[in-house]
Amino acid sequence: MSISFAPFINSWPFLLKAVWVTLMISVISMAVGFIIGVFVGGLRTYGGRLLDILLGFYVDTMRSVPLLVILVWLYFAFPLLIGQSIDVTTAAIAALGIHLGAYMAETIRAGLTSVRKGQMSSALALGMSRTQAVRTIILPQAIIRMLPSLGSLFVFAIKDSAIASVIAVPEILRQTQVVAGNTYRPFELYTAAMVVYFLLCFPVARGVDKIYRRVAHLGSS
Amino acid sequence: MTLHWEIVWQNLPRLLDGALMTIWLSVVTMALAIPGGLILASMRLSRFRPISVLATAFVEFFRATPLILQIYWAYYVLPAYFDIQLSQISTAILGLTCNISSFNSETFRSGIVSIRKGQWNAGRAIGMTDGQIMLHIVLPQAVMRILLALATTWVSLFKDTSLVSIIAVGDLSYVSLQIRSETYRILEVLSAMAAIYWLMGYPQAKIVDWVHRRYKVAE
Repeated sequence: MSISFAPFINSWPFLLKAVWVTLMISVISMAVGFIIGVFVGGLRTYGGRLLDILLGFYVDTMRSVPLLVILVWLYFAFPLLIGQSIDVTTAAIAALGIHLGAYMAETIRAGLTSVRKGQMSSALALGMSRTQAVRTIILPQAIIRMLPSLGSLFVFAIKDSAIASVIAVPEILRQTQVVAGNTYRPFELYTAAMVVYFLLCFPVARGVDKIYRRVAHLGSS
Repeated sequence: MTLHWEIVWQNLPRLLDGALMTIWLSVVTMALAIPGGLILASMRLSRFRPISVLATAFVEFFRATPLILQIYWAYYVLPAYFDIQLSQISTAILGLTCNISSFNSETFRSGIVSIRKGQWNAGRAIGMTDGQIMLHIVLPQAVMRILLALATTWVSLFKDTSLVSIIAVGDLSYVSLQIRSETYRILEVLSAMAAIYWLMGYPQAKIVDWVHRRYKVAE
């Protein structure tokens, strides 16, 4: 078995660009997921029973259908319904975003409900509105407590963005396949892709843990 | 737009075969990944450093890289560079098992570590060996916590099996994508695929929630 690094020397700008695409997809879908999560998580916690049931249905559906299925459906089937094709990157971000949104909603709901009931009562007794109480008292504590879960969701976003290679989004895995196919060097390229994913994910996981340990006291009450 | 749902009904036996494959893959993977996770967890807790470092590296690596890439790697690299010839199904099971074993090992480890040190000391004080303490004191308490976490892993494993479709293992998603390209009834077939996954996965997610509420271990 001989190992050759020629594929990297020849195509590193191409592969480096793929790393940016992966990061862009994960960060934007994380943001989309966070917005969905805040609304769904918030409404499930404070919006009454009916909204809780309806949005719970969305959350549990996302927990039970694979991301691959959502992605493939959104990219191949959904355009037939609306009569307009969707760009691959948009489809990937949308699929990843609505999938992450469900997990984010659960994280946010868990964070909000972990703040003791008495705090809401005290805020109301002081004459604050419910929105004010959530915004200024409950949310700041809840966000800190959510940090570890948000960190692991971000790691999941980076890893799951690789699934977008199935619809040919030019992210790391897809571009690795392209170069591996052209150079017949699957060992070097797939191994390098693994290392790159590891270098992206592992520091995020450890970094968030470190930050959390520093700020954890701000979330305890 | 006219929809031809009869295509789905005509191909229902194939879709159900695919669904059976999905279930079978999940069961086999979990059956292998529980012992796999136990081995990795006990290696990680070993006092002999090279073993614990090796297991830690394995677990961290498989947890921090995408499963889909692990499957590709096993599929393209093992036969060509290490001369290991596996069928597609075996490759799929190998990839899934390494991945889920790593997650399970963390489940086992945190289950065991969550039992306070004082209990080990108490066991030693009455003259038990470490093996006895593990078997009679620590494991019985850790088991419930571990089972709950395993149930959660099961739900995500069930979804993750869809990724083996990329190496042409005939699971539900592969079969659906095949039928889609044979019939061109994209909307019907893909919606049917999503519906079947939902029908199988939704009750599992609900049962796991219920089990968590019912059997949560409070300290």
